[in-house]
Amino acid sequence: MMWIELWVNGSERVAEVRPDETLLELLRDGLGLRGAKNACSEGECGACTVLLDGVPIDACIYAAPACAGRAVTTVEGLAHADGELTPLQRAFVDTGAVQCGFCTPGFLLTLHALLAENPTPTEEEVRRAMVGNICRCTGYAHILDAVAQVAGVKE
Amino acid sequence: MPAAVEFRSVRSTEEAVASLSEHGSDACVIAGGTDVMMQYARHELSPAVFVHIEGIKELTNAQRDGSLRLGALVTHRHLADDPVIRTGHPALAEAAATVGGWQTQGVGTLGGNLCNASPAADTAPPLLVADATVELCGPRGIRRVPLEEFFLGRRHVDRRPEELLTGVEAAPLGPRQAEVYLKVGRRGGMVVAVAGLAARLSFDEQGVIAAARLAVCSVGPTPLRVRPAEEALLGLCPSGRMTDDGYTALEEAIAALSGAVSPIDDVRSSAAYRRAVLPRLLRRSVEVCRAAVRAGISQDDLS
Ligand SMILES: Cc1cc2nc3c(=O)[nH]c(=O)nc-3n(C[C@H](O)[C@H](O)[C@H](O)COP(=O)(O)OP(=O)(O)OC[C@H]3O[C@@H](n4cnc5c(N)ncnc54)[C@H](O)[C@@H]3O)c2cc1C
Repeated sequence: MMWIELWVNGSERVAEVRPDETLLELLRDGLGLRGAKNACSEGECGACTVLLDGVPIDACIYAAPACAGRAVTTVEGLAHADGELTPLQRAFVDTGAVQCGFCTPGFLLTLHALLAENPTPTEEEVRRAMVGNICRCTGYAHILDAVAQVAGVKE
Repeated sequence: MPAAVEFRSVRSTEEAVASLSEHGSDACVIAGGTDVMMQYARHELSPAVFVHIEGIKELTNAQRDGSLRLGALVTHRHLADDPVIRTGHPALAEAAATVGGWQTQGVGTLGGNLCNASPAADTAPPLLVADATVELCGPRGIRRVPLEEFFLGRRHVDRRPEELLTGVEAAPLGPRQAEVYLKVGRRGGMVVAVAGLAARLSFDEQGVIAAARLAVCSVGPTPLRVRPAEEALLGLCPSGRMTDDGYTALEEAIAALSGAVSPIDDVRSSAAYRRAVLPRLLRRSVEVCRAAVRAGISQDDLS
């Protein structure tokens, strides 16, 4: 086992990890943050997407010890401390972009990263950004609607 | 039960080489880990120590002075988005943009893609047609190897256990030259190539192919430059959208390409399909390069 220090959702955390532990194991089992979901374990589905220094990654195939000194954002870190949702989260609720909800945290993090670097993406840009996130309920239409609602997506 | 693995993060090339020299083939370099973590989970790797290199800042740069120099830690997102790479190396930028999803591209590195040496490594064909050389740093200094000679077999490269791949150097597009990477998969995104082909073609004033580079992936144990097909393309004059006659003129190159590859049946495709799709990729690559050079020339005329 080894100790690492990292920033999680803005707070400094000290965690004991196995050298071969994944970031997803650390978040869910070590830190009790269950927002990032464990599904394919192979980086194919995006349900475990979190941000590492602002970049979306699949936590299921990223080494926990590689996060030492770096900043991780999970879905728990998006809303304000008082529970107020981000505009994108609000739009997900309003447009029905959440059905079973399993993929939702991953989509939110990918799309927050997209909007941070490109606040007015084209629909094509939104689709491309979401290529690594799978949703089996919505057919993606409502997710695109949600982004359009907050970002004034260009045609 | 296997001995516990160790995880060591290094900050410099020297530190990485020292670690690799100490542990030899018991060490496993880990960059973005998008290949390593999965291979480890599948018990295909059992290193004594992971040497984690993402903290080596000097390997994250892409620089262009004459040729393009890419640090081993340049990510696929960087390759896909950097304007200098998009203009000087459009095929490489296109290839990187097709590697997995954003989550793969944000941490997956060029060095990892080349060292992993998958038959389907998407960055390999565009770099092969750019006459790329890889730079390896070991305890006795730097060794440069043409990319074509670096791939020895499936997941097998010409890297000694104590060496770190530090960078790649590639020639940018010249005047009247164009390149393209065409990738065939089952859907538009998140696919490993069923077959991939990169072409870099130079045209003379009359629109005749004066120099050609062709490379393929997913149709043999390693990505491969196909010199006999390159030679067959010389002197060809593809005009506009090619007619059946134009296609006939390509037959020799197609035959040479077919003779050079050794596709297999696997979960992604059949060998027969791979053989069937390659000639179409070659034809399309010639059309695309011809059109790009024409468009470039008319742009020059306007400016
Ligand atoms: C969901 C998913 C989809 C993918 N899709 C594609 C695809 O479409 N096309 C494609 O080509 N690949 C694909 N990949 C594979 C992978 O993402 C790429 O090969 C990536 O570029 C590997 O880079 P990395 O930094 O993650 O490498 P790592 O996993 O860290 O390392 C890969 C290998 O290279 C070695 N290595 C890494 N860096 C160095 C170095 N500097 N010096 C010496 N050795 C080194 C490691 O020891 C290991 O053997 C996919 C992966 C996933 C998870």
